[in-house]
Amino acid sequence: MSVYALNKLCHRTLGDLAFRAAMQRDPAAAIAEYRLTPEERQALLAGDVARLYEMGVHPFILSFLTRYEICGLTAEVYSERIRKAHDPGEAAWT
Amino acid sequence: MADVVAGFGVSHSPHAPEAVRKAGAGHPLVPLYARVSEAVEAAKPDVLIVFDCDHFSTFFLDNWPIFAIGVADRIAGPNDGTVMPRYELQGHAALATHIHRHCVRCGFDPALLQDFEIDHSILVPVHFIPPTQAIPIVPIFINGFVPPLPSSQRCRALGQAVRAAVESFPEPLRVGVMASGQFSLEIGGPKVAPGRRQGVPDPDWGVHVTELLRAGEYDALVAEATFARLRKAGNIGGELLNWIALLGAIGERKPSWIESQRAEGDGFAVWA
Repeated sequence: MSVYALNKLCHRTLGDLAFRAAMQRDPAAAIAEYRLTPEERQALLAGDVARLYEMGVHPFILSFLTRYEICGLTAEVYSERIRKAHDPGEAAWT
Repeated sequence: MADVVAGFGVSHSPHAPEAVRKAGAGHPLVPLYARVSEAVEAAKPDVLIVFDCDHFSTFFLDNWPIFAIGVADRIAGPNDGTVMPRYELQGHAALATHIHRHCVRCGFDPALLQDFEIDHSILVPVHFIPPTQAIPIVPIFINGFVPPLPSSQRCRALGQAVRAAVESFPEPLRVGVMASGQFSLEIGGPKVAPGRRQGVPDPDWGVHVTELLRAGEYDALVAEATFARLRKAGNIGGELLNWIALLGAIGERKPSWIESQRAEGDGFAVWA
């Protein structure tokens, strides 16, 4: 599990403009330096925000991806997907 | 000896500065902030303690405090890219240090924060309440977002400890206390509105909270504001803990004015 790394890279899109642009252009290359599990990498690149939420990525931080429409995540797409997510419970958060 | 002379409750949408700039005086937030602004003017506080939840702007998950006290003479921001003017406020390091020490002595263990900027959740209210721009602040951060949250009882006790600290401060300061936060809001989670990245999932809770506050039913509010109840109001619902901490600091008095915006899940109040 590398939920911290997922949180970190989603958060980085807010303040690091070069990283944000790289995530918009070629997310697979941009996240290459992060030590993610194959499942985490796949969920991120697919814009599967429900799965990322259920893994424990913080929703406030996760939603940065839709601010910048990274991995195809317009507000409409993000909303439709996240509304189907299940609450992972407190254990997933920390 | 310093005194807690007034309290102020507000919300802080990061979209508000641009929305109000475009809409002008007809925007519904304008009269609400104006009412609080008049109350700040009338109370003439020498310092403003602000209970606030950081939005992963001042802190991150690498080091995430349950409670933290900002001790600095200069406090600037926003540090989260909010579209709004930049503010460089004065801090009140002497009072902040005194509160930090007092809290640790009486069983709280807040983090000490000395080199930091702040985000929209303090500076949007400051933007809309001009007299606060010239008042030194003491930010006190409460974790309202990352479970496990501190309990409502613990947050009220924190407010009581802050009040006791203020009352044992040797200078005769007039101290205002502000709570910044929503009653119901979901950002980026399953309870967002269709087509949007946020939503107000539980507007009735906001109205209920407002009624309990208006009636001075603080024990009932604290008892009802369990983690499960706050979560039902949305993943930002923990911002109510800022208001509950304010209640601890303000004592038994009822608000002199309170108004909620049901659809927005927020409220504005003054304890004069």
